[in-house]
Amino acid sequence: MTPNIDPIIHIDEELCTGCRRCAEVCPVDAIIGEASTPQSIDAHRCVVCGQCVQTCAAYAAENDPSLTSRAEKLRQRGQLSSVREPLFAAYSTGHAIELKEALADPKRYKVVQCAPVIRVSLAEEFGLPFGTLTPGKMAAALRLLNFDRVYDTNFGADVTIMEEGSELISRVMSGERLPMFTSCCPAWVKHAETAAPHVLDHLSSCKSPMQMVGSLVKTYSAELDGIAPADILSVAVMPCTCKKFEAGREEMNVDGLREVDMVITTRELAQLIKDKGIDFINLPDETFDSPLGKYSGAGTIFGATGGVMEAAIRTGYELVTHEPIPNLQLDFIRGDEGIRTATVQIGDLELKVAMVAGLKYVSTILEQVAKGTCPYHFIEVMACPEGCVSGGGQPKLLLETQRKSAYQARKSSIYRHDSNQKVRKSHENPAIIKLYKDFLGEPLGHASHHLLHTKFFSRSVKGEMK
Amino acid sequence: MRKERPNSFVIAEAGKCIGCKACELACFAVHNRDNGVAAAVGTVTMPVIPRLYVIRTDSFTMPVQCRHCENAPCAGVCPVQAIVQEEGAITIDEDRCIGCKACAMACPFGAISLYKAYSSGQEHKQPHLREQLNGRLERKTRVIAYKCDLCHDIASDGNTASGEIAGAGAVNNSGSLTEGGGGPVPACASVCPEQALTLVSPSFGASRSRKAAGLRL
Repeated sequence: MTPNIDPIIHIDEELCTGCRRCAEVCPVDAIIGEASTPQSIDAHRCVVCGQCVQTCAAYAAENDPSLTSRAEKLRQRGQLSSVREPLFAAYSTGHAIELKEALADPKRYKVVQCAPVIRVSLAEEFGLPFGTLTPGKMAAALRLLNFDRVYDTNFGADVTIMEEGSELISRVMSGERLPMFTSCCPAWVKHAETAAPHVLDHLSSCKSPMQMVGSLVKTYSAELDGIAPADILSVAVMPCTCKKFEAGREEMNVDGLREVDMVITTRELAQLIKDKGIDFINLPDETFDSPLGKYSGAGTIFGATGGVMEAAIRTGYELVTHEPIPNLQLDFIRGDEGIRTATVQIGDLELKVAMVAGLKYVSTILEQVAKGTCPYHFIEVMACPEGCVSGGGQPKLLLETQRKSAYQARKSSIYRHDSNQKVRKSHENPAIIKLYKDFLGEPLGHASHHLLHTKFFSRSVKGEMK
Repeated sequence: MRKERPNSFVIAEAGKCIGCKACELACFAVHNRDNGVAAAVGTVTMPVIPRLYVIRTDSFTMPVQCRHCENAPCAGVCPVQAIVQEEGAITIDEDRCIGCKACAMACPFGAISLYKAYSSGQEHKQPHLREQLNGRLERKTRVIAYKCDLCHDIASDGNTASGEIAGAGAVNNSGSLTEGGGGPVPACASVCPEQALTLVSPSFGASRSRKAAGLRL
């Protein structure tokens, strides 16, 4: 098992014009260089969020003799030779070539999971309007790509709520290590490890939904399907470039096997679908496989800023009060970029929560935690501007002027998907109830600790950080 | 009725331009809806063909594009009358263009370029001419002249990607440009992160420069 040493986010020196728009959107000042000269990335500081990839407009002009050939550039970038879109200076390492080869291997049992927001953005890659919801077509396309099982990260989001909600309640009851921060956003986790190791004890010990599904794919579902875990190829489709980094972390393994073997982005999935000549727009809907494909509305909303918080409160409220939550739709928690705070009455407890959307906004909270003056119990941090809907692996826009409406439409689509679900609370998802009854026992129990929780390590380098 | 006002044009301020090429990309995006180009980069199946060009020198960078000359030399030399004055803009009828390059040579600004023609996102092949490609004779792709048309015919397009452009201001509903400074502007100007591009309405511009000259006296 080798730790991932590829920095994942790159800037092509041949194409970069030095406009530094990437530096403007970088939340951690990881882009270095003088204006008008090619930029480079400080890999230590970089949180791999891919916002620079989303912003860059410096493209390779057709037939520029001074440039390396397109075919060679695609190869260097790990992109399929069938990719026709323009190539930009800022890009993320692709894994579609590797995946295409693996999918053709009959000896492997190919399992895929998709993050909540892939289904609200994938269709944009085929020219459909922003936020078009296509879970059925996505499942059908993944089967045509030769996956044996089509699972869902939303299921993992429901598991996360069971574990993280229980952890929050236990910490609030004992008053220990508060505030508690969410740990599902890998870019936030990397930033905490690099720039604020003093808060690592405050992070939830939960792995991200992606890693939880990966872990359950090689244990619970392998057992159900009677497949040897070592024969399974576990793939994740993510809106996020940092998920590639997360999957490669040394500790993300279960009994010596990687939980997630390969991560591709929304854009890379679209490229694979086009490469195979699949008519995505006209695909008849198919469903996800059971049991790791059954999800609640709470799992769905993880993809928008405030979503983890809202999902956690829906379950946390009922775990504490043993009464149904009066209002399922917590509009006061929903919002845009920046910091939002709220107080939620849960029985006798006044739970103080904060949602941070955009990593650059987290510094004031980190300072408060260092001083011991942070007033919140629970803080959700998402590195990208509006949560995963705006992730670095999501469809890239040709026009900056459309960014806001794209994010808005993807978010509304997520919330609409939630409100159309029969089950909207993680703890009421029958597949989750069964998972705990048959396999895990109870949240925070022995099996959960082994499979679903992790530790964080300081990446701070003395003298390097200011 | 004939329009009395001189043609508008877009011009860049070199001091503000950071060379990001967002204007080139936006120009390409709004002109290629018929080629399947929607909002996402992933919908693009052809090379980016802009109608303005970010140029770089040692000391500055700025986009250059058509000035919509009143006595357009490009129109004067076009042997097939493909270049016309239409609703305050000099435009090329791309179907008519024979790719003779006379306009590109006549233009004092280098605002016209010749590229392959595309239809439905694929190279547009000619019925008659053939050329040697990969060791065999294949139908030759049409090559035509492209230049800024001030986002002239974009307003009527109703797909998702165009909504914002109309909103950000390309052209009004009648398809014609309105006054610069507050009115709709072409795609390049609407996306520029540094507001380096301005739609100049000459009567407006002239009075402004006269005033500026007066103040310098």
